[in-house]
Amino acid sequence: MQSNHSIVIIGGGIQGLSIAFNLARLGVRDVRVLDAGYFQGGASGRNGTLIRGGFGSPEWTGFFAHSNRLWAELSATLGENVMFTPRGYLVIAQKAETLARLDGMRDLHREHGLQSDLLAVRRIKELEPAIDEHAVLGAIYLKGGGAAPHHAAMKGYLAASRRLGARIDYQRPVTAVERSGDRITTVIAGDERIACEKVVIAGGAYSPAIGKLVGAEIPGFPIRIEAMALEPVRPVIRSAIALPDRLCYMHQTARGEIVGGAEVPEKPQVTLNTDICALAATAAAYAEVFPALGALRILRHWAGMLHATADWGPLLGQHPDVGNLWVSAGWSYGFAGAPAAGDLLARAIVTGEVDSRMAPFAVDRFRRNQPVVEGAIVLAPVD
Amino acid sequence: MRAAGPGCVINWNGEPLQVSAGESVAAALFRAGHLQLAATRKRHRPLGLSGSFIQGVLGDVDGIPNARLDQVTVRDGMHVARQNTWPSSHFDLLKLLRLVPARLVRGGFEHTRLMPSGTRRYLVWERLLAFLAGEGTLSPVPAAPAVVAGRRIDCDLLVIGGGPEGIGTANAAAHAGRDVVLVTRGSAPARFARLMGITETALDSRVTLLTAHEACAIYRQGHLVLAAPGDGGPAVAIGSNEIVLATGKHSLPPLVRGNTLPGVMDAATALALAAGGAACLGRVVVVGTETREAIAARLHSLGAAVAEIRAVAELKAIKGWNRVTGAVFEHAVPCQTVVHAGPWRSDPNLSFQASGDGLLRLSADALPAHVRMVGSAAAPDERIHWPGKHALDADVCPCMDVSAREIADLLRAGVTHVEEIKRQTSAGMGPCQGFPCWELMAAVIENAAGAPLADRPSHRGPRRAITVAQAAGLSGLVDPLK
Ligand SMILES: Cc1cc2nc3c(=O)[nH]c(=O)nc-3n(C[C@H](O)[C@H](O)[C@H](O)COP(=O)(O)OP(=O)(O)OC[C@H]3O[C@@H](n4cnc5c(N)ncnc54)[C@H](O)[C@@H]3O)c2cc1C
Repeated sequence: MQSNHSIVIIGGGIQGLSIAFNLARLGVRDVRVLDAGYFQGGASGRNGTLIRGGFGSPEWTGFFAHSNRLWAELSATLGENVMFTPRGYLVIAQKAETLARLDGMRDLHREHGLQSDLLAVRRIKELEPAIDEHAVLGAIYLKGGGAAPHHAAMKGYLAASRRLGARIDYQRPVTAVERSGDRITTVIAGDERIACEKVVIAGGAYSPAIGKLVGAEIPGFPIRIEAMALEPVRPVIRSAIALPDRLCYMHQTARGEIVGGAEVPEKPQVTLNTDICALAATAAAYAEVFPALGALRILRHWAGMLHATADWGPLLGQHPDVGNLWVSAGWSYGFAGAPAAGDLLARAIVTGEVDSRMAPFAVDRFRRNQPVVEGAIVLAPVD
Repeated sequence: MRAAGPGCVINWNGEPLQVSAGESVAAALFRAGHLQLAATRKRHRPLGLSGSFIQGVLGDVDGIPNARLDQVTVRDGMHVARQNTWPSSHFDLLKLLRLVPARLVRGGFEHTRLMPSGTRRYLVWERLLAFLAGEGTLSPVPAAPAVVAGRRIDCDLLVIGGGPEGIGTANAAAHAGRDVVLVTRGSAPARFARLMGITETALDSRVTLLTAHEACAIYRQGHLVLAAPGDGGPAVAIGSNEIVLATGKHSLPPLVRGNTLPGVMDAATALALAAGGAACLGRVVVVGTETREAIAARLHSLGAAVAEIRAVAELKAIKGWNRVTGAVFEHAVPCQTVVHAGPWRSDPNLSFQASGDGLLRLSADALPAHVRMVGSAAAPDERIHWPGKHALDADVCPCMDVSAREIADLLRAGVTHVEEIKRQTSAGMGPCQGFPCWELMAAVIENAAGAPLADRPSHRGPRRAITVAQAAGLSGLVDPLK
């Protein structure tokens, strides 16, 4: 079977779909998306769904502030309800040094147009009556941050992209590519040969492996992280919450479940199986900060895989070695970042112009020894 | 008010109620004529004690939401209330939601079409959704300790399931000098066998017995098991060289209209109720596979008024609005209780977790050599009968109000992957976490495809068998993988 598409996207997670949607909006109507698994099977269907614009570095904040703004209007943009709620995002400090770090972030956030405030314990308690005020020292509050159920967001992107002509197939793994010199000419998926002008790798945790398939180095490695859902109760937690000192994040969903996870320092695991350690660590973090949750039962616990890079930042842009290869990978906050990544990368692909908000995340930054230093993310250090 | 005689007085939805002592709240309420204990999540249709769907036995006990009323024993003076009601458990207007047509609430709470996000109004709408979805009400002031220290047990052989087969396996191993732990969900081993009148074999005293503990998840390729007691006591991380799953079979509700009405129950539940006095069951219709005669005979000998015994394939519908009023075969048989004794199937949760692997999705594989199934758990599953068009009105997942019709419509629209159906309908994402609903879902898919389907969404632990406090107490008992 032979076909022609101007752009082939490998991976139909939220990154691949957002890129497909934005390309189609810019007039590239024959986008093809190929995904090896089932719809929502990757990290995009397994994440904590938290969205915020403000981080500790200007690079992350510049990028994610843009994405947060796009989330707010995403339902209108897609013509599908993504159910984003700007319920507010609390990054809560439990240690003095964390509080000091948060303290420095507010001005940065405001420079990027975010509504960001430092909250004293009393204000946190007003917002979150279930919190143990003795367990926390202060917080930064991002008023426009929040969450969107991944089921709704993914379904919205899929439907909108298809309406604009993108062809998207699941359970259709890319098995090989053909190159002529430094360019990819054909993408092969089983018995189908797809001649194309450009290729985008948006394969999540599998991106380094897909890079090998293409013969292009994609730095980083896959790593599992875990999350769990508590049984539903009527609203008791209002905000989206990160507890950097416990490597934990959480929120209460539109279905009443409290969903979140905590990371444990472990040898990076390549599996979708879960482990007791993350279950216990997540529960311990909840119990410490929201003691009332101790009485709730844990419904289910699952794992998803991320593509870890040396600085935990994404790899976004053109590949340095393969002329017509583009990359959106290395995501750890790739759900929050998807609207901006799709917007900026699609523009770069179509016009050749690299927006300054995505430039710092260039694929070759480690080669150039220019990692992006970001200290306000909730991820366990790996060595 | 004081309890008279062997009963006690509880408070049910704000009213004192005299109930019999010594059994579970759900059984006591059933006996007192209160069949509807809970409701479905979206349309608030009535649910009760069924032995199949946990949603039907979740209630608020003394201010703690989502207690399992079939596992809590009645106590004089306890306050039990229906949850997910408004304005009160006594006067509930939310039950009017059952008048909303089913098609309007399809797709779970994550797929609202009614009000797009991005507006201020949506924030309010989302809070309303979460309120409607939220079941019980948790007090922000902790009512129980936030952490319950757990324990770690390491053994040579772990037997899960306290039926005759589990006891036999544990005894043989103990006899051979092995270090054996047996975990059973029941308050005592061999509960079902005893109800069937089978004399039990005593458990060897050298076996470490954990009763009223649910083994709820398996980790590390079947080398680590999580078990927790229902009463909130210490959770247990059990490391074992070998695991035996003696988890038996469960009878699945028939795929017909009315299959989740209060009054429809599995054989084990009916036997337990009958053992405490069969009058509460009223006229009983027994449907099932081969075992139906034996179950009906036992119910009869316990005093139940068995009106009809039929093959489940003959059942066309179960009648009733708030509770069972009849079973429909070629003509209707009036009754108050429908007991199903088959098809019998294994709960695949633990075996899935012991074998599941894969990077794009977890799927069950052959069990590792050190994990095996014994007894009826190891026997082939019985097929779920497909009663033609009658099946479409059946509930597949009552908790989320997913009918067979909703799944059939998705299949027709080209959504055929089990994981996708799960995500689009939320089927199996309630308190049962996939069993029995995914078995029923598979039957719908099999019927549409005309071929057997072994595929299920991934079975995830610990499916509400453990609280946050219990899980927090496991910190430090298991080393992270290095
Ligand atoms: C537990 C957990 C919690 C998280 N919480 C958050 C959070 O709160 N906020 C946030 O912003 N982010 C969060 N994340 C991260 C976020 O989920 C990811 O960064 C994001 O989903 C990445 O999207 P993606 O499209 O790049 O990857 P994926 O969604 O993983 O998609 C990659 C796709 O590539 C496909 N693929 C693989 N190999 C091939 C092949 N050979 N051919 C074709 N296709 C292939 C896969 O099938 C997969 O569908 C979390 C992640 C996890 C696991």
